[in-house]
Amino acid sequence: MIARDLGPSDDLLMLQALLDGELDASGVIDMERRIAADPRLSAEYARLCALRGAIQGGAMREAAPDSLRARIAAATGVTPASQSNVVKFPEAAAARPPVAAVRRWRAAAGAMAAAVVALLGVNIYLVSDWGSDDIERAVVAAHTRGLISGQPIDVVSTDRHTVKPWLAGKVPLATTVVDLASDGYALSGGRVDVIADEPVPTLVYRHREHFISLTELPRGSARVSAPTRETVNGHSVVSWTDNVRRYVAVSDMSPPELDDFVANFRRAAASEREDSPPKAK
Amino acid sequence: MTTEAARSRFAEIVLPYLDDAYTLARWMTGSTADAEDVVQDACVRALRALETTAVERPRAWVLTIVRNTALTWMAKNRPANVTSTEGEEGPLELPELTDPAPSPEQNVIAQADHGAVRAAIAALPQAFREAIVMREINGLSYKEIADASGIPIGTVMSRLARARMMLMNALGRPA
Repeated sequence: MIARDLGPSDDLLMLQALLDGELDASGVIDMERRIAADPRLSAEYARLCALRGAIQGGAMREAAPDSLRARIAAATGVTPASQSNVVKFPEAAAARPPVAAVRRWRAAAGAMAAAVVALLGVNIYLVSDWGSDDIERAVVAAHTRGLISGQPIDVVSTDRHTVKPWLAGKVPLATTVVDLASDGYALSGGRVDVIADEPVPTLVYRHREHFISLTELPRGSARVSAPTRETVNGHSVVSWTDNVRRYVAVSDMSPPELDDFVANFRRAAASEREDSPPKAK
Repeated sequence: MTTEAARSRFAEIVLPYLDDAYTLARWMTGSTADAEDVVQDACVRALRALETTAVERPRAWVLTIVRNTALTWMAKNRPANVTSTEGEEGPLELPELTDPAPSPEQNVIAQADHGAVRAAIAALPQAFREAIVMREINGLSYKEIADASGIPIGTVMSRLARARMMLMNALGRPA
Protein backbone atom coordinates (compact mmCIF):
# COMPACT_ATOMS: atom_id res chain seq x y z
CA MET A 1 0.00 0.00 0.00
CA ILE A 2 2.09 2.85 -1.27
CA ALA A 3 -0.36 5.57 -0.42
CA ARG A 4 -1.25 4.42 3.07
CA ASP A 5 0.75 7.16 4.73
CA LEU A 6 -1.13 9.82 2.81
CA GLY A 7 -4.43 8.84 4.37
CA PRO A 8 -7.25 7.94 2.05
CA SER A 9 -9.79 10.33 3.47
CA ASP A 10 -7.51 13.33 2.98
CA ASP A 11 -6.99 12.22 -0.59
CA LEU A 12 -10.69 12.02 -1.11
CA LEU A 13 -11.30 15.44 0.38
CA MET A 14 -8.66 16.91 -1.91
CA LEU A 15 -10.05 15.15 -4.99
CA GLN A 16 -13.43 16.47 -4.07
CA ALA A 17 -12.13 20.02 -3.56
CA LEU A 18 -10.58 19.85 -7.02
CA LEU A 19 -13.88 18.67 -8.46
CA ASP A 20 -15.74 21.47 -6.68
CA GLY A 21 -13.36 24.19 -7.88
CA GLU A 22 -12.34 24.99 -4.31
CA LEU A 23 -8.57 24.70 -4.77
CA ASP A 24 -6.29 27.58 -5.62
CA ALA A 25 -3.92 27.44 -8.56
CA SER A 26 -1.05 25.70 -6.79
CA GLY A 27 -3.50 23.21 -5.25
CA VAL A 28 -4.95 22.43 -8.68
CA ILE A 29 -1.54 21.90 -10.21
CA ASP A 30 -0.46 19.72 -7.30
CA MET A 31 -3.59 17.54 -7.39
CA GLU A 32 -3.52 17.19 -11.17
CA ARG A 33 0.07 16.01 -10.95
CA ARG A 34 -0.79 13.50 -8.25
CA ILE A 35 -3.79 12.21 -10.17
CA ALA A 36 -1.64 11.73 -13.25
CA ALA A 37 0.92 9.77 -11.21
CA ASP A 38 -1.47 7.60 -9.20
CA PRO A 39 -3.93 5.30 -10.95
CA ARG A 40 -5.95 4.89 -7.76
CA LEU A 41 -6.46 8.62 -7.47
CA SER A 42 -7.32 8.91 -11.13
CA ALA A 43 -9.85 6.06 -10.84
CA GLU A 44 -11.46 7.73 -7.84
CA TYR A 45 -11.53 11.10 -9.56
CA ALA A 46 -13.18 9.50 -12.59
CA ARG A 47 -15.83 8.04 -10.29
CA LEU A 48 -16.45 11.45 -8.72
CA CYS A 49 -16.78 13.04 -12.16
CA ALA A 50 -19.14 10.28 -13.24
CA LEU A 51 -21.30 10.91 -10.17
CA ARG A 52 -21.39 14.63 -10.87
CA GLY A 53 -22.41 13.92 -14.46
CA ALA A 54 -25.18 11.62 -13.26
CA ILE A 55 -26.54 14.20 -10.81
CA GLN A 56 -26.25 17.24 -13.02
CA GLY A 57 -27.51 15.46 -16.09
CA GLY A 58 -30.53 14.26 -14.16
CA ALA A 59 -32.62 17.43 -14.22
CA MET A 60 -32.67 17.59 -10.44
CA ARG A 61 -33.73 21.23 -10.41
CA GLU A 62 -37.37 21.90 -10.08
CA ALA A 63 -39.25 24.94 -11.28
CA ALA A 64 -41.37 26.64 -8.64
CA PRO A 65 -44.94 25.78 -9.66
CA ASP A 66 -47.40 28.56 -10.57
CA SER A 67 -49.53 27.61 -7.56
CA LEU A 68 -46.57 28.53 -5.32
CA ARG A 69 -45.99 31.79 -7.20
CA ALA A 70 -49.61 32.72 -6.65
CA ARG A 71 -49.36 31.94 -2.93
CA ILE A 72 -46.23 34.08 -2.61
CA ALA A 73 -47.90 36.96 -4.41
CA ALA A 74 -50.82 36.73 -1.99
CA ALA A 75 -48.59 36.48 1.08
CA THR A 76 -46.11 39.22 0.19
CA GLY A 77 -47.93 41.59 -2.14
CA VAL A 78 -45.14 41.10 -4.68
CA THR A 79 -46.09 39.44 -7.95
CA PRO A 80 -43.55 36.99 -9.28
CA ALA A 81 -43.14 36.72 -13.02
CA SER A 82 -45.09 33.64 -14.07
CA GLN A 83 -42.32 32.58 -16.39
CA SER A 84 -40.21 30.16 -14.46
CA ASN A 85 -36.58 29.88 -15.37
CA VAL A 86 -33.15 29.33 -13.95
CA VAL A 87 -31.12 32.38 -12.93
CA LYS A 88 -27.63 31.47 -11.96
CA PHE A 89 -26.34 34.81 -10.76
CA PRO A 90 -27.89 38.06 -9.66
CA GLU A 91 -26.83 40.28 -12.56
CA ALA A 92 -30.04 42.26 -12.39
CA ALA A 93 -29.99 42.70 -8.63
CA ALA A 94 -26.38 43.76 -8.71
CA ALA A 95 -27.00 46.49 -11.25
CA ARG A 96 -28.43 49.03 -8.86
CA PRO A 97 -27.70 47.96 -5.29
CA PRO A 98 -29.19 50.09 -2.54
CA VAL A 99 -26.82 52.62 -1.01
CA ALA A 100 -26.43 50.67 2.23
CA ALA A 101 -25.55 47.57 0.27
CA VAL A 102 -22.92 49.47 -1.68
CA ARG A 103 -21.36 50.71 1.54
CA ARG A 104 -21.30 47.22 2.96
CA TRP A 105 -20.07 45.87 -0.32
CA ARG A 106 -17.17 48.27 -0.24
CA ALA A 107 -16.34 47.34 3.34
CA ALA A 108 -16.50 43.67 2.46
CA ALA A 109 -14.40 44.31 -0.64
CA GLY A 110 -11.70 45.93 1.45
CA ALA A 111 -11.62 42.98 3.82
CA MET A 112 -11.61 40.60 0.91
CA ALA A 113 -8.80 42.45 -0.78
CA ALA A 114 -6.67 41.87 2.30
CA ALA A 115 -7.68 38.20 2.41
CA VAL A 116 -7.01 37.74 -1.28
CA VAL A 117 -3.56 39.26 -0.95
CA ALA A 118 -2.81 37.02 2.00
CA LEU A 119 -4.06 33.90 0.25
CA LEU A 120 -3.08 34.37 -3.34
CA GLY A 121 -0.30 36.88 -3.23
CA VAL A 122 -1.89 39.12 -5.85
CA ASN A 123 -0.65 42.65 -6.16
CA ILE A 124 -2.72 45.67 -5.36
CA TYR A 125 -2.61 48.52 -7.83
CA LEU A 126 -3.20 51.71 -5.95
CA VAL A 127 -4.02 54.84 -7.86
CA SER A 128 -5.31 57.78 -5.93
CA ASP A 129 -7.95 58.95 -8.37
CA TRP A 130 -9.56 56.21 -10.38
CA GLY A 131 -10.34 57.61 -13.77
CA SER A 132 -11.07 55.45 -16.76
CA ASP A 133 -7.46 55.55 -17.95
CA ASP A 134 -6.21 54.57 -14.51
CA ILE A 135 -8.43 51.52 -14.49
CA GLU A 136 -7.22 50.47 -17.92
CA ARG A 137 -3.61 50.92 -16.86
CA ALA A 138 -4.21 48.85 -13.72
CA VAL A 139 -5.84 46.09 -15.75
CA VAL A 140 -2.90 46.08 -18.16
CA ALA A 141 -0.51 45.97 -15.19
CA ALA A 142 -2.37 42.98 -13.72
CA HIS A 143 -2.27 41.22 -17.10
CA THR A 144 1.45 41.92 -17.49
CA ARG A 145 2.25 40.84 -13.97
CA GLY A 146 0.46 37.54 -14.61
CA LEU A 147 2.56 36.90 -17.70
CA ILE A 148 5.84 37.92 -16.08
CA SER A 149 5.29 35.80 -13.00
CA GLY A 150 4.33 32.85 -15.17
CA GLN A 151 1.08 32.62 -13.25
CA PRO A 152 -1.61 34.44 -15.18
CA ILE A 153 -4.30 32.10 -13.82
CA ASP A 154 -5.40 31.33 -10.25
CA VAL A 155 -7.99 28.72 -11.13
CA VAL A 156 -6.85 26.63 -14.06
CA SER A 157 -9.79 25.16 -15.88
CA THR A 158 -11.32 25.11 -19.32
CA ASP A 159 -14.72 24.42 -17.80
CA ARG A 160 -16.79 27.53 -17.17
CA HIS A 161 -18.80 25.59 -14.61
CA THR A 162 -15.60 25.37 -12.57
CA VAL A 163 -14.34 28.90 -13.18
CA LYS A 164 -17.61 30.69 -12.42
CA PRO A 165 -18.23 29.16 -8.97
CA TRP A 166 -14.57 29.60 -8.06
CA LEU A 167 -14.76 33.31 -8.82
CA ALA A 168 -18.13 33.56 -7.09
CA GLY A 169 -16.46 32.36 -3.92
CA LYS A 170 -13.73 35.01 -4.16
CA VAL A 171 -15.28 38.24 -5.38
CA PRO A 172 -18.58 39.93 -4.61
CA LEU A 173 -19.41 40.34 -8.31
CA ALA A 174 -21.24 37.76 -10.36
CA THR A 175 -19.00 36.98 -13.33
CA THR A 176 -20.13 36.39 -16.87
CA VAL A 177 -18.22 33.32 -18.04
CA VAL A 178 -18.81 32.09 -21.57
CA ASP A 179 -17.24 29.30 -23.57
CA LEU A 180 -15.65 30.64 -26.76
CA ALA A 181 -13.63 27.56 -27.72
CA SER A 182 -15.61 27.13 -30.94
CA ASP A 183 -14.65 30.70 -31.90
CA GLY A 184 -10.97 29.94 -31.37
CA TYR A 185 -10.68 31.48 -27.90
CA ALA A 186 -10.23 28.73 -25.35
CA LEU A 187 -11.10 29.51 -21.76
CA SER A 188 -7.98 28.84 -19.68
CA GLY A 189 -9.19 29.89 -16.26
CA GLY A 190 -9.65 32.90 -14.05
CA ARG A 191 -7.95 34.99 -11.45
CA VAL A 192 -8.72 37.72 -8.95
CA ASP A 193 -7.22 41.16 -9.60
CA VAL A 194 -7.48 44.07 -7.23
CA ILE A 195 -8.38 47.20 -9.18
CA ALA A 196 -9.36 50.49 -7.55
CA ASP A 197 -9.01 48.83 -4.14
CA GLU A 198 -11.56 46.16 -4.94
CA PRO A 199 -11.14 42.50 -5.87
CA VAL A 200 -12.57 41.88 -9.32
CA PRO A 201 -12.84 38.78 -11.50
CA THR A 202 -10.59 38.36 -14.53
CA LEU A 203 -11.12 35.62 -17.08
CA VAL A 204 -8.15 34.33 -19.03
CA TYR A 205 -8.68 33.08 -22.56
CA ARG A 206 -6.07 31.76 -24.94
CA HIS A 207 -5.80 32.27 -28.65
CA ARG A 208 -2.89 30.37 -30.19
CA GLU A 209 0.08 31.47 -28.07
CA HIS A 210 -1.60 34.66 -26.83
CA PHE A 211 -3.29 35.20 -23.51
CA ILE A 212 -6.30 37.48 -23.24
CA SER A 213 -7.27 38.92 -19.85
CA LEU A 214 -10.87 40.03 -19.56
CA THR A 215 -11.56 41.95 -16.37
CA GLU A 216 -15.10 42.64 -15.22
CA LEU A 217 -15.69 45.66 -12.96
CA PRO A 218 -18.67 47.20 -11.25
CA ARG A 219 -20.28 49.66 -13.63
CA GLY A 220 -20.16 52.49 -11.10
CA SER A 221 -21.20 55.74 -12.66
CA ALA A 222 -19.85 54.91 -16.12
CA ARG A 223 -22.19 55.40 -19.05
CA VAL A 224 -23.14 52.51 -21.29
CA SER A 225 -20.63 52.55 -24.12
CA ALA A 226 -19.66 50.51 -27.16
CA PRO A 227 -16.21 48.88 -27.26
CA THR A 228 -13.38 51.32 -27.87
CA ARG A 229 -9.82 50.29 -28.50
CA GLU A 230 -6.57 51.92 -27.53
CA THR A 231 -2.99 50.94 -26.91
CA VAL A 232 -1.46 50.98 -23.45
CA ASN A 233 2.23 50.14 -23.10
CA GLY A 234 2.14 48.18 -26.32
CA HIS A 235 -0.92 46.14 -25.37
CA SER A 236 -4.23 46.33 -27.16
CA VAL A 237 -6.96 47.30 -24.74
CA VAL A 238 -10.66 47.23 -25.54
CA SER A 239 -13.12 48.51 -22.98
CA TRP A 240 -16.87 48.83 -22.94
CA THR A 241 -19.72 49.24 -20.49
CA ASP A 242 -23.10 47.55 -20.60
CA ASN A 243 -26.01 48.27 -18.30
CA VAL A 244 -24.57 46.03 -15.60
CA ARG A 245 -20.79 45.98 -15.83
CA ARG A 246 -17.73 47.56 -17.25
CA TYR A 247 -15.31 45.28 -19.12
CA VAL A 248 -11.67 45.71 -20.05
CA ALA A 249 -9.97 43.19 -22.37
CA VAL A 250 -6.17 43.18 -22.71
CA SER A 251 -3.93 41.17 -24.97
CA ASP A 252 -0.82 41.31 -27.10
CA MET A 253 -2.82 39.90 -30.02
CA SER A 254 -3.23 42.07 -33.06
CA PRO A 255 -5.91 44.73 -32.55
CA PRO A 256 -8.36 43.24 -35.10
CA GLU A 257 -8.09 39.87 -33.37
CA LEU A 258 -8.87 41.43 -30.01
CA ASP A 259 -11.86 43.21 -31.59
CA ASP A 260 -13.03 39.86 -32.88
CA PHE A 261 -12.64 38.30 -29.43
CA VAL A 262 -14.65 41.11 -27.86
CA ALA A 263 -17.39 40.76 -30.46
CA ASN A 264 -17.62 37.02 -29.79
CA PHE A 265 -17.64 37.53 -26.04
CA ARG A 266 -20.39 40.13 -26.20
CA ARG A 267 -22.52 37.97 -28.45
CA ALA A 268 -22.11 34.90 -26.20
CA ALA A 269 -22.69 36.93 -23.02
CA ALA A 270 -25.85 38.47 -24.47
CA SER A 271 -27.23 35.11 -25.48
CA GLU A 272 -26.50 33.73 -22.03
CA ARG A 273 -28.45 36.57 -20.47
CA GLU A 274 -31.39 35.87 -22.72
CA ASP A 275 -31.67 32.58 -20.91
CA SER A 276 -32.49 34.54 -17.76
CA PRO A 277 -36.05 35.53 -17.01
CA PRO A 278 -37.06 39.14 -17.42
CA LYS A 279 -36.43 41.18 -14.31
CA ALA A 280 -39.42 41.17 -11.98
CA LYS A 281 -41.13 44.50 -11.72
CA MET B 1 -46.12 46.49 7.94
CA THR B 2 -44.23 46.12 4.72
CA THR B 3 -42.68 49.06 2.98
CA GLU B 4 -42.54 49.53 -0.75
CA ALA B 5 -38.73 49.50 -0.56
CA ALA B 6 -38.71 46.04 1.01
CA ARG B 7 -41.13 44.77 -1.63
CA SER B 8 -38.98 46.06 -4.40
CA ARG B 9 -35.88 44.51 -2.87
CA PHE B 10 -37.81 41.28 -2.44
CA ALA B 11 -38.55 41.29 -6.18
CA GLU B 12 -34.87 41.87 -6.97
CA ILE B 13 -33.27 39.62 -4.38
CA VAL B 14 -35.63 36.73 -3.67
CA LEU B 15 -37.81 36.18 -6.73
CA PRO B 16 -34.96 35.29 -9.11
CA TYR B 17 -34.13 32.36 -6.81
CA LEU B 18 -37.56 30.86 -6.39
CA ASP B 19 -36.62 27.79 -8.41
CA ASP B 20 -33.51 27.29 -6.29
CA ALA B 21 -35.56 27.80 -3.14
CA TYR B 22 -38.25 25.38 -4.23
CA THR B 23 -35.69 22.78 -5.32
CA LEU B 24 -33.91 22.86 -1.95
CA ALA B 25 -37.20 22.72 -0.04
CA ARG B 26 -38.42 19.89 -2.23
CA TRP B 27 -35.31 17.81 -1.53
CA MET B 28 -35.29 18.63 2.17
CA THR B 29 -38.94 17.84 2.80
CA GLY B 30 -39.36 15.10 0.22
CA SER B 31 -42.75 16.44 -0.79
CA THR B 32 -43.99 19.03 -3.28
CA ALA B 33 -46.83 20.18 -1.03
CA ASP B 34 -44.53 20.58 1.98
CA ALA B 35 -41.98 22.39 -0.20
CA GLU B 36 -44.62 24.96 -1.19
CA ASP B 37 -45.49 25.59 2.46
CA VAL B 38 -41.82 25.96 3.36
CA VAL B 39 -41.01 28.34 0.49
CA GLN B 40 -44.05 30.48 1.25
CA ASP B 41 -42.99 30.74 4.91
CA ALA B 42 -39.44 31.49 3.87
CA CYS B 43 -40.61 34.27 1.53
CA VAL B 44 -42.60 35.91 4.31
CA ARG B 45 -39.52 35.75 6.56
CA ALA B 46 -37.29 37.11 3.81
CA LEU B 47 -39.61 40.03 3.11
CA ARG B 48 -39.65 40.93 6.78
CA ALA B 49 -35.85 40.69 6.99
CA LEU B 50 -35.43 42.91 3.93
CA GLU B 51 -36.81 45.88 5.86
CA THR B 52 -33.49 46.08 7.64
CA THR B 53 -31.02 43.71 5.99
CA ALA B 54 -28.64 44.43 3.14
CA VAL B 55 -27.91 41.32 1.12
CA GLU B 56 -24.61 40.69 -0.60
CA ARG B 57 -25.07 37.19 -1.93
CA PRO B 58 -28.73 36.82 -2.71
CA ARG B 59 -28.81 33.16 -3.67
CA ALA B 60 -26.92 31.98 -0.60
CA TRP B 61 -29.02 34.31 1.57
CA VAL B 62 -32.30 33.03 0.19
CA LEU B 63 -31.24 29.40 0.52
CA THR B 64 -30.10 29.93 4.11
CA ILE B 65 -33.58 31.16 4.99
CA VAL B 66 -35.21 28.28 3.11
CA ARG B 67 -33.01 25.75 4.87
CA ASN B 68 -33.74 27.14 8.34
CA THR B 69 -37.43 27.47 7.57
CA ALA B 70 -37.55 23.88 6.31
CA LEU B 71 -35.95 22.54 9.50
CA THR B 72 -38.29 24.54 11.73
CA TRP B 73 -41.29 23.58 9.62
CA MET B 74 -40.43 19.88 9.68
CA ALA B 75 -39.79 19.86 13.43
CA LYS B 76 -43.28 21.29 13.88
CA ASN B 77 -45.23 19.42 11.22
CA ARG B 78 -43.26 16.26 10.43
CA PRO B 79 -41.40 15.43 13.64
CA ALA B 80 -41.11 11.78 12.67
CA ASN B 81 -39.02 12.71 9.63
CA VAL B 82 -36.49 14.83 11.45
CA THR B 83 -33.45 12.69 11.97
CA SER B 84 -30.51 13.58 14.09
CA THR B 85 -27.08 13.39 12.56
CA GLU B 86 -25.66 12.13 15.85
CA GLY B 87 -23.59 9.08 15.19
CA GLU B 88 -23.44 9.79 11.48
CA GLU B 89 -20.86 12.52 11.79
CA GLY B 90 -18.11 10.51 13.51
CA PRO B 91 -14.65 10.24 12.00
CA LEU B 92 -14.78 9.90 8.27
CA GLU B 93 -14.01 6.33 7.39
CA LEU B 94 -13.64 6.22 3.69
CA PRO B 95 -12.57 3.04 2.03
CA GLU B 96 -9.02 3.02 0.81
CA LEU B 97 -8.53 3.65 -2.83
CA THR B 98 -7.66 0.06 -3.49
CA ASP B 99 -8.54 -0.85 -7.02
CA PRO B 100 -6.11 0.60 -9.53
CA ALA B 101 -7.57 -1.44 -12.38
CA PRO B 102 -9.91 0.49 -14.65
CA SER B 103 -13.28 -0.36 -13.23
CA PRO B 104 -16.56 -0.53 -15.08
CA GLU B 105 -18.07 1.11 -12.03
CA GLN B 106 -17.65 4.64 -13.28
CA ASN B 107 -19.54 3.74 -16.44
CA VAL B 108 -22.32 2.27 -14.35
CA ILE B 109 -22.49 5.47 -12.30
CA ALA B 110 -22.38 7.70 -15.36
CA GLN B 111 -25.21 5.76 -16.94
CA ALA B 112 -27.43 5.61 -13.87
CA ASP B 113 -30.92 6.68 -14.89
CA HIS B 114 -32.53 9.78 -13.45
CA GLY B 115 -34.91 7.82 -11.27
CA ALA B 116 -32.06 5.91 -9.65
CA VAL B 117 -30.11 9.11 -8.99
CA ARG B 118 -33.15 10.80 -7.45
CA ALA B 119 -33.87 7.76 -5.29
CA ALA B 120 -30.26 7.60 -4.11
CA ILE B 121 -30.26 11.29 -3.15
CA ALA B 122 -33.64 10.97 -1.45
CA ALA B 123 -32.33 8.04 0.60
CA LEU B 124 -29.43 10.05 2.07
CA PRO B 125 -29.70 11.13 5.72
CA GLN B 126 -30.92 14.72 6.04
CA ALA B 127 -27.61 16.48 6.72
CA PHE B 128 -25.85 14.77 3.82
CA ARG B 129 -28.75 15.24 1.43
CA GLU B 130 -28.89 18.92 2.29
CA ALA B 131 -25.15 19.38 1.68
CA ILE B 132 -25.11 17.56 -1.64
CA VAL B 133 -28.23 19.38 -2.91
CA MET B 134 -26.80 22.79 -1.98
CA ARG B 135 -23.51 21.93 -3.69
CA GLU B 136 -24.52 20.00 -6.82
CA ILE B 137 -27.97 21.34 -7.54
CA ASN B 138 -27.98 24.86 -6.06
CA GLY B 139 -24.28 25.38 -6.86
CA LEU B 140 -23.24 26.94 -3.53
CA SER B 141 -19.57 27.09 -2.54
CA TYR B 142 -18.22 25.31 0.54
CA LYS B 143 -18.18 28.62 2.38
CA GLU B 144 -21.79 29.40 1.48
CA ILE B 145 -22.93 25.94 2.56
CA ALA B 146 -21.01 26.32 5.82
CA ASP B 147 -22.66 29.70 6.49
CA ALA B 148 -26.12 28.45 5.53
CA SER B 149 -25.86 25.37 7.74
CA GLY B 150 -23.96 26.93 10.61
CA ILE B 151 -21.16 24.35 10.42
CA PRO B 152 -17.41 24.63 9.76
CA ILE B 153 -16.11 24.21 6.21
CA GLY B 154 -14.32 21.01 7.28
CA THR B 155 -17.67 19.51 8.23
CA VAL B 156 -19.13 20.57 4.88
CA MET B 157 -16.27 18.78 3.14
CA SER B 158 -16.66 15.60 5.14
CA ARG B 159 -20.45 15.58 4.71
CA LEU B 160 -20.08 16.03 0.98
CA ALA B 161 -17.46 13.29 0.80
CA ARG B 162 -19.64 10.94 2.78
CA ALA B 163 -22.71 11.79 0.72
CA ARG B 164 -20.77 11.12 -2.46
CA MET B 165 -19.45 7.82 -1.16
CA MET B 166 -23.00 6.74 -0.34
CA LEU B 167 -24.27 7.83 -3.74
CA MET B 168 -21.44 6.09 -5.58
CA ASN B 169 -22.07 2.93 -3.59
CA ALA B 170 -25.79 3.10 -4.30
CA LEU B 171 -25.37 3.79 -8.02
CA GLY B 172 -22.15 1.92 -8.71
CA ARG B 173 -23.51 -1.57 -8.43
CA PRO B 174 -24.62 -3.03 -11.72
CA ALA B 175 -28.32 -3.77 -11.50
